[in-house]
Amino acid sequence: MIPADSASILPDPASQAPQSGDAAYQAPRPAGERALDCFLAAGFERIEPPILHAAAIFLDMSGEEVRRRLFITADAAGEELCLRPEYTIPVCRAYLASDKAGRIAEYSYLGPVFRARAGQVGEQTQTGLESFGRLDAEAADAEVFSLAMEAAMAAGGGAVLTARLGDAGLFDAVLESLKIPDPWRRRLRRGVARGLSLEAIFSRPSQSALAQPGVLAALESADHAGAKALVEDLLAIAGIDAVGGRTPGEIADRFLEQASLRSGPPIEPEKRAALDAFLAISGDPDQAAIELRRLAHSAGLTLSAALEAFERRNGFIAARGVAIETTRFSAAFVRDFDYYTGFVFEARDAQAPGARTALAGGRYDGLARRLGAPHDIPAVGAAINLDRLMNGGER
Amino acid sequence: MAGGNGAEDPFVLAVPSKGRLQEAAHAFFARAGLELIQGRGARDYRGAIAGLPGVEVAYVSSAEIVGQLAAGAAHLGVAGEDLLREKALDVEARFELLSPLGFGHANVVVAAPKTWIDVRTMADLDDVAQAFRAKRGERMRVATKYVNLTRRFFAEHGVADYRIVESLGATEGAPASGAAELIVDITTTGATLAANALKPLDDGTILRSQANLIASLAAHWGANARQAARDILARIAASEEALKSREVRARLPVPAGSIVEAARARFDAVSAIGEEADPHGLVALHCARDKAADLAGWLLTKGAERVSVAALEQTFAARNALYDALERRIGAAEA
Repeated sequence: MIPADSASILPDPASQAPQSGDAAYQAPRPAGERALDCFLAAGFERIEPPILHAAAIFLDMSGEEVRRRLFITADAAGEELCLRPEYTIPVCRAYLASDKAGRIAEYSYLGPVFRARAGQVGEQTQTGLESFGRLDAEAADAEVFSLAMEAAMAAGGGAVLTARLGDAGLFDAVLESLKIPDPWRRRLRRGVARGLSLEAIFSRPSQSALAQPGVLAALESADHAGAKALVEDLLAIAGIDAVGGRTPGEIADRFLEQASLRSGPPIEPEKRAALDAFLAISGDPDQAAIELRRLAHSAGLTLSAALEAFERRNGFIAARGVAIETTRFSAAFVRDFDYYTGFVFEARDAQAPGARTALAGGRYDGLARRLGAPHDIPAVGAAINLDRLMNGGER
Repeated sequence: MAGGNGAEDPFVLAVPSKGRLQEAAHAFFARAGLELIQGRGARDYRGAIAGLPGVEVAYVSSAEIVGQLAAGAAHLGVAGEDLLREKALDVEARFELLSPLGFGHANVVVAAPKTWIDVRTMADLDDVAQAFRAKRGERMRVATKYVNLTRRFFAEHGVADYRIVESLGATEGAPASGAAELIVDITTTGATLAANALKPLDDGTILRSQANLIASLAAHWGANARQAARDILARIAASEEALKSREVRARLPVPAGSIVEAARARFDAVSAIGEEADPHGLVALHCARDKAADLAGWLLTKGAERVSVAALEQTFAARNALYDALERRIGAAEA
């Protein structure tokens, strides 16, 4: 996925990003530069990845829903290109194409991103930071979050941001500990990310009603090989030619999965109750840690590793001096992108019009592999939309 | 574009420039007594309607018709609902679909390989798409030329793990060639899908489309344009109404007044010649085509000797429902 001549997409040190007299981004730049200064002072080297990218990269990572937000064009050969809608993927690509790939590298950026939104200017200024390759995950999480908060406050002229924290690692650990079957894990993570209640998630049909009840009954005690043979026989009897896509083995596996889920409620009541109690936990992060330990004990969940990481991160964040009273943890805060693997956060400027999310970030260890790296690479980052800070567009 | 005294741009009716749609559109307008006259030679893209001097007919491709309506360059146009909903944003706010035209039928459907015997609904598809991505790290690919319709429909059904592969022809071959796992395409009989070992999903019909007479709300609706629209729509309404109706006539041994009332209540029939019922028992009623036989039978039980049922050519009414629908959207003319 990374182009062969990818070295050329790294910035030439001599021609780095726009200078301050540049007319193009005049209005928001000074605020952006105040933010950028925070990142540079902490050793996050400035990077300016290309503006044009293959549209497929963003569509693959984020899904077709982002298509309507993209400014799409085509090159001479007809390949779909788009203007970058954000920095994380372009920065990650540049990192992977560099000689630092797989090792520690920390970048900051400031520049335009392009998103089509009805009634709004399509070009917005974003600044942010990305940290790759660090193994002290919780310290890196805390540093990136704290720097982003500091930078946003500096850019917003002293604005006070209220932040919400979440932890996809904790969420996954709870599902793992409850031994929730695989298909339900996917549905739960997606449903919770979309703000659905457990009731709504569990009541949503995931298969057609009465889907081949005879087949499912026949498969209730079958194994993979037996199920695969049955599916192949069914297709042969019906005279259906195989056409691309999924193999009879994959179809058999889904039948097996459905057969195993067929009897009884999707999840036992006590597991459901534990899940409900977990998702309801929100508030002060330290208080949340106490409640999480209490829940783990009473529901018999083995969360120690995830909980220790959670507490360690809270400690690092507190040590960095982020105002804890403006920071809330919410167990139900997860993102609908599977490459977000741990800490997630977002913050808004309560005084800004509409108070929309102005800062967002998290740990995305899974992204590098999605972009072509041979394995996961620890990564955490944050982006600030300057236009959404009270003073972002003015100074 | 200001109204008032200045010369008003001509009223533009956009119709398809080629193929079956053009023929069907011509036939449709002809049935309404509107003869479209194409300019000299088949390559002339402007025409007129016989007897309506204020009207210009623009012959353009179907996709372009949607564009012209959206831009307000055409006042009325004939286009498939599938293209309108694919190409234009905010359809409800910017267009008025005045009347389905009864041709150009095509359903836009989601179709999967027949081998996917475990997939019958969009919920199945969502489940399979998630598992596909979890297992392969890639999204399931959907070949289609209906990028926007697909995206909206999949979003409504909560399906997120897919990628669109734009296809501009022979979409149904994409799964067999390995270019995509499933397709979204138009189908009329399903035969093409079946021939390519594909099946539509039970709840995968995105749109039941047919050609529509569409009004642009972005066009300038001056006095001339309104008059032209009123003339055209009156004739279309008259022939559409006639097509759906039958005239039922009989002579009854009693004054017709109570019979007309009862026929209205029982058969939704109206007096063909106005409100005043004939005191000598002559009744002439208009009713829906499928109720004509029942109405005739009922008149026989009321003492009629013979009942005649006749097809109608055109039925003009003081109230023109099509123009009324348009005027509700563009506002009444300035005084």
